[in-house]
Amino acid sequence: MASAKYEREYGQHLVEQVLKGKMTRRQMLVRASVFGFSMTAAGSLLAACGGDSTDSSSSPSAAGMPAPVMGGILKLIGPAPITDPDPVTIYDQGGIVLVSQFLEYLINLNDDNSLRPVLAESWTPNDTLDVWTFKLRTGVTFNDGTPFEAEDVVATMERLLDPEGGSGGAKSQWGGVLSPKGTKAVDATTVEFTLDKPYADFPYTVSNGNYNSAILSRSYKGDILKNAVGTGAYILDQYTPKQKATFKKNPTYWGKDDAGKQLPYLDGLEYIMVEDNSAQNLQLQSGAVDCQPQTVFQGAQALFQDPNLRVDIYPGTGIREIAFNQTKEPWKSGGANLCQAVAYCLDRPAINKALYDDRSNLGYDTFWQETVFPSSPPAPERAQDYDKAKQLLADAGHAGGLEIELTVAKYLENPQLAQLIQDQCKPAGITVKINQMSYTEFYAGSDADYYGTTPWIVAPMTIVEWGSRPAPGIYAAAMLLPDAVWSSSHWDNKDFVSTFDEYESTGDEAMRAELATKLSTLQQTDTPIMLPFFISQARAQKKNVYNIKGPGSIYCDCSAAYMTTA
Amino acid sequence: MLRLIGRRLLLMVPTLILASILIFLLAEVLPGNVGRSILGQYATPEDVAALNRELGADRPLVVRYVAWAGNFVTGDWGESPVQKVPVRPYVMAALWNSLILAGFALILIVPTSIVLGVFSGLRRDSALDRVITVSTLSMTVIPEFVSGVVLLYVFAVWLKWLPVTALAPEGAPFYERLYYLILPAIPLMFLELGYIARMARVGTVQVLSMPYIRTAVLKGVPRSRVVFGHVLRNAMVPTVTVIGSQVGWLIGGLVVVETLFSYPGIGKVMVESALNHDVPVLEASVLMVAVVYMFANLVADIVVALLNPRIRKGG
Repeated sequence: MASAKYEREYGQHLVEQVLKGKMTRRQMLVRASVFGFSMTAAGSLLAACGGDSTDSSSSPSAAGMPAPVMGGILKLIGPAPITDPDPVTIYDQGGIVLVSQFLEYLINLNDDNSLRPVLAESWTPNDTLDVWTFKLRTGVTFNDGTPFEAEDVVATMERLLDPEGGSGGAKSQWGGVLSPKGTKAVDATTVEFTLDKPYADFPYTVSNGNYNSAILSRSYKGDILKNAVGTGAYILDQYTPKQKATFKKNPTYWGKDDAGKQLPYLDGLEYIMVEDNSAQNLQLQSGAVDCQPQTVFQGAQALFQDPNLRVDIYPGTGIREIAFNQTKEPWKSGGANLCQAVAYCLDRPAINKALYDDRSNLGYDTFWQETVFPSSPPAPERAQDYDKAKQLLADAGHAGGLEIELTVAKYLENPQLAQLIQDQCKPAGITVKINQMSYTEFYAGSDADYYGTTPWIVAPMTIVEWGSRPAPGIYAAAMLLPDAVWSSSHWDNKDFVSTFDEYESTGDEAMRAELATKLSTLQQTDTPIMLPFFISQARAQKKNVYNIKGPGSIYCDCSAAYMTTA
Repeated sequence: MLRLIGRRLLLMVPTLILASILIFLLAEVLPGNVGRSILGQYATPEDVAALNRELGADRPLVVRYVAWAGNFVTGDWGESPVQKVPVRPYVMAALWNSLILAGFALILIVPTSIVLGVFSGLRRDSALDRVITVSTLSMTVIPEFVSGVVLLYVFAVWLKWLPVTALAPEGAPFYERLYYLILPAIPLMFLELGYIARMARVGTVQVLSMPYIRTAVLKGVPRSRVVFGHVLRNAMVPTVTVIGSQVGWLIGGLVVVETLFSYPGIGKVMVESALNHDVPVLEASVLMVAVVYMFANLVADIVVALLNPRIRKGG
């Protein structure tokens, strides 16, 4: 829990916001969890607002679950890690699912993007939000018998932030926020993060939402396959590249269920590595495996209809960023009118139907979207409007039509999305030429000047796939600020930058809501990127598999999972 | 015959050296680099450069090739920078898996296609000939992905007669491994059957029109002796050559079947190592497939020479 004074003051502030109607109860719970409120304290806040203290973290599968059963080997199926699953450098689903079984994070995300403590028991910021103090869980040991202490957290952070290597993924979330030497062990169970600037969303960046931030032993030397030392519920037993990984239960795991029973319930796990989605689906349908942690909607209709399977759907935050490079024509001279013209051509419900069977959340070209990030203000919707698109085209000096090139990798559903954009832009007089290339080509660039040559950053218009991010600010910092290295749009709006700085440096929720509305408006007005949807996630499993936790389906926390015999 | 074998074995050496140089050059042309493959697209150029330096991937091409080749010929195949596992057991395990699958598929394909092709040739222009020709050719045009999915759904998911994967559990006896290979072998059979059967048919038809066959028939030699003693032996020459050339594909070109049936063969290893700039694995796997391919062709040439004395005696 947060310090008593902080908890009292901030808690009172949150309750006031709810009572004034400026915040929903759900939003309040999410924000309370970010500021380190315990479940009990959050429940008290709900009670003060006149509600009950229902657990906001329940997953779709939580309802009506039978009593846990001990034993059994749960067989998971998914893609192989692209490289060896080094937690410092992993960036793909296979790697993330694997390391999540034997490593843990300070904090885990719930499905609604609220936070639950794992290796950290509590955390609290100072008044200016630039120093965060984390109290660590006691009595935790690594699976090699060494105790888990603050020095392990410090070593993990320093390793990730190493300027001569480190983790690209982790650094992307800490750029301008946390620097090397910014993490200090106050004592064996207390860690202090001194940030480069105030950051209200900092706890998200040390959660499993920043998947590289898994806590490793201070003795880790980059040899994860030889020394898979972690605090997780399972121990990596065997790893055959591109085939299979097996895990056995960690007998000294610290976790216990609500009834005080030792976790994990299962004897172990198997992760079967299969690249092809159709092959994965067939294995699940044949009964050869128990669970597909991340089910791809396309081609999975049979899974939804299979009476032996249950498919849980989670509101996801993954996106396909359709970026207009503001340094390239026609966007450079056409400005906001031209970008908006394309945005008004999109039939977003039709895209959602075609790509995700109507199961994703629609997006309206802003990250601050209430349906996906509950603490955001409602965003004005953008329906397909060809008259408006034509008018905007004319205003931008393209009354006779426009020809644009869209660069896209042959990866996931990106080519189909490009095709839909091409079809939907045509009636407005916008001809979209699709430049399709291999995934490797799309992300390749010269060694000397990677960001000045790689297509995903330099092409005039691109589709870039992004995995989930737990808060809108984390997305914005990574791609919409002028110094963001992953900015495919190269948008440079000074008003947005100053407002964003203000937004991330205040804990005043009323002010944050006001600033979020302004940020959202600025983003929609200039439309440097289009966000037609936020991708929901699905996890297919046999009907006797229970309690695999998320967030969503991209993470796969099996520490409390179990299988019944039915 | 021995001179032929010796000459062909000697020719393998420059071929393999040339192949290894070509692979190095082609890997250089591929976009990206090994550091980028390991760290992903979101790593900074500085991090990628540091890793490439650490792996020695920033050294000149010639230096890297000489270092790799020097180690390779002494049996040190190195470690995969991407998978962090020793290259030799990784590649040899995949090659062994592919050899088993290809061998099993050949056992099904070769006798079936030869019987069908010869039978079709002997009954030239009959209804049976047309049925065999059309049906085997139709099978050939079905992509293995389509036939594989249908077979998997029917026999593994619906009827549950056969396993859904091609890889038997660890420690399974050999016959059980073959049981797991039945389903993946069928799409390969579909692909190859039409091609080899057609060659056997054409060979049979050609031989049947030869004067020595006419003479044998007019002399009153029994039909079975004509077919087995004269037709088959001579009709097999082009068929054996084709089978030899297909072995290379059956070993290294089964990426689709390996992917669909989750089979850890050498085809998948080659594709993944190429995509990830894993040069030590790519080199070793391509060279191993090349060796198998060359040996298969050598065996085919020996068989052809045994069947045809003119080739054996250099006539």
